[in-house]
Amino acid sequence: MIPSMELPLVFFTLLSQLAIGLTLLYALRTAGPSVQPEASAKTQWFVFAGILAFSLIVSLTHLGHPLLAPRAVLNLSTAWLSWEILIFILLFALMAATAYLGVTRRFVWLTAATGFVALFVQGMVYSPSSFPAIHNVLPFAFFLVTAVILGAGTSAWFAPQDTQPLLRWILVGALSAGLLLFLVAPCVWLSGGIVMRLTGLAYLASPLYWAHIVLGLAVPLAVILVSRRIPSWLPILLLAGALCGRVVFYLDTIHTGVNIGGLQ
Amino acid sequence: MKKQLGFYVDAKRCIGCFACAMACKNQYHQASGVVWRQVYPLKEEIYPHHERAFYSLSCNHCEHPVCMEVCPASAYTKREQDGVVMHHQERCIGCGNCVRSCPYGAPRFNPVTERAEKCSLCWQRLDAGIDPACVKSCPTNALRLINLATFNEPNAVQFPPGYPHMSRLNPSTRFRQPELPKIIKPEDQQ
Amino acid sequence: MSKITKQEIERILENPVSRRSFLGGLLATGALVILPSCRLLRPGTVDTGQVWEGGYQTFRNACSRNCYDTCSIVSYVKNGVLKFVEGAPESSFTAGGLCVKGNSYVRRVYSPDRIKYPMEQQGRGTGKWKRLSWDEAMDKIARKILEIKARDGSLLGLALSKYSGSFGITHYGVEGMMSSLGYTTRLVGTPCWPAGMDAQNFDMGNMLCNDPEDLPLARYMIVWGANPAWCSVHSMKFLYAAQEAGAKLVVVDPVFTQTAAKSDEYVQVRTGEDGALALGMCRHILDRSLYDKEWVTAHSIGFDEFAAYLREHVTIEWAAQKSGVPASHIAAIAEEFAQARPATIWIGYGMQRHVNGGASVRILDALVAMTGNIGKPGGGARYAQMQTWGFNYHAKNQKQPESSKGWIGASGPKGEFDFSGVKENVKYADRTININKTAQEILDTKDPQVRMLWVACKNILSQDFDRPKMLKAFNKLEMVVVADQFFNQTVEQADIVLPVTTFFEEWNVNASYWHYWLSLNEQAVKPLHEAKSDIEIAAALSKRMNELAPGSCTFPTTVDTKDWTAQEFNKKELDLFGISSWEELRKGPVKAKLTSSAPWSDGVFATPSKKYEFHSDLCAKNGHDALVMYKEGRPAYDKLRLLTPHSKFGINSQFQNLDWMADFNSEPYVYIHPRTAALRGIGHGDAVRVFNKVGEVRLAAQLTADVPPDTLLMYEGWYKGLAFNCQNLVDDLSSDMGSFKTGAPGVAIHDQFADVVRA
Repeated sequence: MIPSMELPLVFFTLLSQLAIGLTLLYALRTAGPSVQPEASAKTQWFVFAGILAFSLIVSLTHLGHPLLAPRAVLNLSTAWLSWEILIFILLFALMAATAYLGVTRRFVWLTAATGFVALFVQGMVYSPSSFPAIHNVLPFAFFLVTAVILGAGTSAWFAPQDTQPLLRWILVGALSAGLLLFLVAPCVWLSGGIVMRLTGLAYLASPLYWAHIVLGLAVPLAVILVSRRIPSWLPILLLAGALCGRVVFYLDTIHTGVNIGGLQ
Repeated sequence: MKKQLGFYVDAKRCIGCFACAMACKNQYHQASGVVWRQVYPLKEEIYPHHERAFYSLSCNHCEHPVCMEVCPASAYTKREQDGVVMHHQERCIGCGNCVRSCPYGAPRFNPVTERAEKCSLCWQRLDAGIDPACVKSCPTNALRLINLATFNEPNAVQFPPGYPHMSRLNPSTRFRQPELPKIIKPEDQQ
Repeated sequence: MSKITKQEIERILENPVSRRSFLGGLLATGALVILPSCRLLRPGTVDTGQVWEGGYQTFRNACSRNCYDTCSIVSYVKNGVLKFVEGAPESSFTAGGLCVKGNSYVRRVYSPDRIKYPMEQQGRGTGKWKRLSWDEAMDKIARKILEIKARDGSLLGLALSKYSGSFGITHYGVEGMMSSLGYTTRLVGTPCWPAGMDAQNFDMGNMLCNDPEDLPLARYMIVWGANPAWCSVHSMKFLYAAQEAGAKLVVVDPVFTQTAAKSDEYVQVRTGEDGALALGMCRHILDRSLYDKEWVTAHSIGFDEFAAYLREHVTIEWAAQKSGVPASHIAAIAEEFAQARPATIWIGYGMQRHVNGGASVRILDALVAMTGNIGKPGGGARYAQMQTWGFNYHAKNQKQPESSKGWIGASGPKGEFDFSGVKENVKYADRTININKTAQEILDTKDPQVRMLWVACKNILSQDFDRPKMLKAFNKLEMVVVADQFFNQTVEQADIVLPVTTFFEEWNVNASYWHYWLSLNEQAVKPLHEAKSDIEIAAALSKRMNELAPGSCTFPTTVDTKDWTAQEFNKKELDLFGISSWEELRKGPVKAKLTSSAPWSDGVFATPSKKYEFHSDLCAKNGHDALVMYKEGRPAYDKLRLLTPHSKFGINSQFQNLDWMADFNSEPYVYIHPRTAALRGIGHGDAVRVFNKVGEVRLAAQLTADVPPDTLLMYEGWYKGLAFNCQNLVDDLSSDMGSFKTGAPGVAIHDQFADVVRA
């Protein structure tokens, strides 16, 4: 397998995780029993649906034969990827329906829950045994953390003032979890088998990895700890950092095929 | 056990000549850079000389092929009569999932057709009663076609060092390990 | 790309988060960030693949490369297109399978890089090629030839450089073309095997080897300075069969080769000191009276003299000191060798590419002879044979035009394929100059100088020695015509290039210099583009020559490759193979009917004395020692030794340029011992510069303890698009022997020296 940045997958996963994050954060913001739908809720949810739709279109560019894309749901019996297609289409339908039908609490939580499951399915797709370092729960963890970070940060742009403190705390938590996760994982890999170790070293040697850590996680965390609000430029940094980190995920996670002939 | 074809890689006889790898190219004319059979040198941590022992590997035609498992378009099937794992070009959407998921790197992405492709165990030749192209070409009979149902080679192993240990897939390739000669060097180079 | 990542990762493993790898990572990821994927916008493309379909037309072909194995090929054709090739199952040597090179032939035939039509370069080395029609090309060449003739009164200003790029008997039509024009200058000799050829001729009266298929009968085999695992892959199965029957395989080589890895015992010998090692063994065998007294008495002369020499000048300790092999071990293998019945030595051509190569071969011959192993199935001093080459050489034997003038004086053999014998008292002859010193000879030759060079079946600027000197020599040439298939390094310096056919596109016949099979080569497909075979080119030239100056060329103006192939057969050759007509070869290759798998089995040799000659007056007459004895190697002229043997991925400069081959082997390396590299701060994968008095080469290094610490190893070959050429490091010093049978001494290719630094 030839290592590749897999940019279509990078954008698909980031944008779809952003959309899911946004719906999750909307659900959390409006979780209180007496909370009404936000004034711009309908618009928000059309945008969330739009982002998800766009991410799905981007995912088509990954295919050698995009016109054959409908075939991708044919292997529901064993392929997580077929389920991923199905659940994301369902998710889009739910987001659009939520927007169209007036952003009711029931639909919001149904969509948020579906989004959560979609992240899990996505994690299963990208954790085959051929990548020892991520043949585990890490992809799901990476995706979940990224979704919450992007969702919370981006929500800060348009969320009502009184929800900003909540968003800020969620973001602090997610960034802290993210820092822990993305710093510890490569270190743990260093004491695994050879391919796992190579992955750890590749991540730690990658400037993009450090860009994600520093610009996408550490600096934002420091900024919002120091200032008591989420600055409007922060989501851009979060997005840029997440982009770097996602490229590293696809490019620098080492495949077992690289080490055939060497001790495993 | 029902018939399951596979390759016997006799690394003791194998001289790493690449005739098998090129025989495959000769038969299928794969696009430049697309290689179905690769001859992997064993690293010195396994065979203590630089590029002097090899595993010739194509597809392992596993009992539980991960390519077939993860393909969303059901473009892979496993033949009943002999266990050959086949990729059907016309069903492939070029998502690359099999390429990423096979721990042995058997499926390759063809940038010209924009589809995956891999060793087909020369099933068209098999059906006509002739050996796979790679097996036929091996000058030392180090690469052989075997039927796991009847294969009985006491020295053969399934997971030699240097070959990813994926028991769940149950690859059909079997190996004999290479050997070392006695080495006489000048005293100052022992 | 995966290879780059692997290398990066290996470096990371050595220096985890080093600044070097960080910056490297920065560059790599920076470079990669740019390309978006626009697959939706890419137009659909044609399927490049094919599958086995059955229903093929099959043809018999014979690989025409200079290779021990000379495979019998079966070609599979459909709708006039060559689809794939296999080995002929009828040959127990080829046994149905080809090597990595043979299996790439289809790509070679249909390579987009093939030269399609005659072209003229607008300035040598510019790469500005102008297409010519065949008529135009022949006209330009013919006029130049006539101009030379008018100027010098002879065609001695026209020289031919040709060797083994394409075997197949009708390719000697190139020599025939030269003869048909007049008396010309011939680059004679061979870089390949001449020292050993002379040695075997002095010792036994001919160069003959056992049938390699009798190797399973051996009880002890020494592969000495040869690497069949790379250069004769089909022989390996016979070595293995012998091992499985209990025989011991010993490999003697300065380098731990692939063959060494398959042996029972690898003995590292100091480069060029094979003679000393073998003499040490001979002395020990003599001391222990383990030699075959009976055979030696009945079938040899000069043994007592040899024994006296051994007692006076050779000890195991001396041999150990010279060869680097511990004395106890020399004694051990000597005893094993002498007591095995039979024992054999495979004498490699690499072993004799030294200033003492011929002498070393004589010593190895002596070791085999004194132990009574000559003439025994499974035994023998195996080097090569030309017994199966008894063709008519009809294509070659053309007559000079009546009024031709040429060189005055006796003419020696023009290479090892000249079976015409030394001619004395001929009025005119071709002028012969040493092919192994092509550059120097072109520079020095005068009255007349070499004005025009015809190159066929050879890649001078990739393979000839002292490349810097060769480029200077080319400046003296007024016209360079090259007949070839690819724009290789010689074509780069040509004026006119003529496209030639592959053997799939012509008829021919080929024998091997190792095994005893004969293969017909049928034409499987029509010539591609405007390619012509060498004899068709000769015919076309003859036609134009005679139009411009009637009678100036005797070569027939029309030829048919099938007809000319048929004309190569004679009764003696057919009888040797037990067939009544060459057409029987269309059913498959045929093996010679040998009375014994071992030559000299009757103990009657072809020497003047009819015996094996430890003492050879003929050898002395040719300027060497009469008695087989030690000869010093070449003193070092630089810090480290340099070896440039053959790669498994190519035959000299052929095949490596194909993209299919590049899929498996993409760049050249120099192999350095880790201790030697460490002293120079060179790490695995580093870019280095190898240099000596001849020139320099820049490439990447790989570290391995399989080469001696005092040696640099690189494999010769031509990589498409790379300036790499190891001949920038190899000078043209002659080996001792070679002139007797080939007209010029060989060349000490493996007696070179160089140093290396990080680039």
